[in-house]
Amino acid sequence: MMARKQILILLLFVLFILQGTVFFWLTPSSLQLQIYPNFVLVAIFFVSIYYHRHTGLVLGLIFGMLHDIVYYGEMIGTYSFAMGISAYLLGLVFKAPRAPLPMMMTIVILGSLLFDSTLFGIYKVFRLNPTSYNWSLLHHMLPNLLVHFAFALAIYVPVRKQLELIAKYQRRKTAS
Amino acid sequence: MLQLFKLLGNKRLFIMLIGLVAFIAIMGFTLGPRASLSWPEKFVKDTVGFVQSVFYKPAAYIAGFFEDVRNMKAVYEENEELRRAVAQYSRESANYNTIKAKYERLRDNLRFTQNQKNRDKYDYRTAEVIAVNSDPNNRTLVVNLGERDGIRPNMSVTTVDGMVGIVSNVSNFTSTVKLLTTMDAQDPNPQPISVTAIGKEDKTFGIVETYDEKTNTLLMTRVAEDDPIAEGDKIISSGAGGVIPPGLIIGTVDSVQISQFGQSRTATITPAAKFEDWRYVIIVVTPEEPK
Repeated sequence: MMARKQILILLLFVLFILQGTVFFWLTPSSLQLQIYPNFVLVAIFFVSIYYHRHTGLVLGLIFGMLHDIVYYGEMIGTYSFAMGISAYLLGLVFKAPRAPLPMMMTIVILGSLLFDSTLFGIYKVFRLNPTSYNWSLLHHMLPNLLVHFAFALAIYVPVRKQLELIAKYQRRKTAS
Repeated sequence: MLQLFKLLGNKRLFIMLIGLVAFIAIMGFTLGPRASLSWPEKFVKDTVGFVQSVFYKPAAYIAGFFEDVRNMKAVYEENEELRRAVAQYSRESANYNTIKAKYERLRDNLRFTQNQKNRDKYDYRTAEVIAVNSDPNNRTLVVNLGERDGIRPNMSVTTVDGMVGIVSNVSNFTSTVKLLTTMDAQDPNPQPISVTAIGKEDKTFGIVETYDEKTNTLLMTRVAEDDPIAEGDKIISSGAGGVIPPGLIIGTVDSVQISQFGQSRTATITPAAKFEDWRYVIIVVTPEEPK
């Protein structure tokens, strides 16, 4: 039963690897300059809602830092900060461990926009980003949002089931 | 005042504030130029890089197979074209060898030091791409050559089509390539490329330091008013400045306009490289500068 948690974290790491390698080859060439899906973030939203927001925060910080170090172009810390804060805030605002499908999808949409906007804001503050928000919203964030939405739909059933099993086990352990 | 102390007593708020300050410190510290990465960063990069290479290669292979099937028809025409190009190449290589021999003899006569002679000896290393980050704010590739293979930061990276970026960070076995599409003149640490046009090397001069994401073009600035630059010219790096070696293909001139303040002209350049479907890149290894 305890191994379930470790396996889920390992799967999250595999997802991180796939996102930079296999998913890049699955996107058509014409879209490669537009979308930059962050599937790990969507999975962390699920953890944040169905398990606990603090776990979401820690996972966001760790996997964001991993992304920052592996793809270190200008600076370290942007993904870590944006992923951690968006996972935590969503968990804080939507305190509903039994969130139904439509609500979870709303959370993913809001979270995706929040994450991309935070990222945009950080790069704007450090003057690394010459484009305007409107343009970026239309050309990067909205296409990204669609991909995130589709991915969330695909993983909704299995991931929710696993996370609720873990949460139930945890509760029983603290009760006894 | 009491209210303020109560607010500071709130543990969660306190931790969040400290976290925010810590993150701003990290970002500010890593933004500037750094000599090399610390060992935890190198360790993470090398480990993840190894796993990524396991996944990237088969995916690229399968995608490449379908592309090959689609391109089957174009192969015949391409072959004809290549045959013509090879004939011309062998004719020109004879010419090149005589000129090169003459050049080296003259250099000997003028008593160039060994250092000066080595300066334009470039080594071209082919690296395989093992992961891609397509975030438009921070477009990077991870390639499988690192410090052990003699790669250092700020080396230029090209493909067979043209220049694509600059090595930004190096770990033991992998390195990160920052693509030209993130170039901007407003950057805190800009990476300008001095360029010239093929056939007009001694007359044309300009600087490429901005990529316009909206039109997918590069902007060449500081072109003098009496410059003979024209539409359709092939733009290459000139090697002035010393960081980027001469002769790397950048792109073709799309149009030439008077610049914003009217003192000089600017040219928009369509990049020669395509920035998609990454498989191999070529890193230009420059000779090590003696201390």
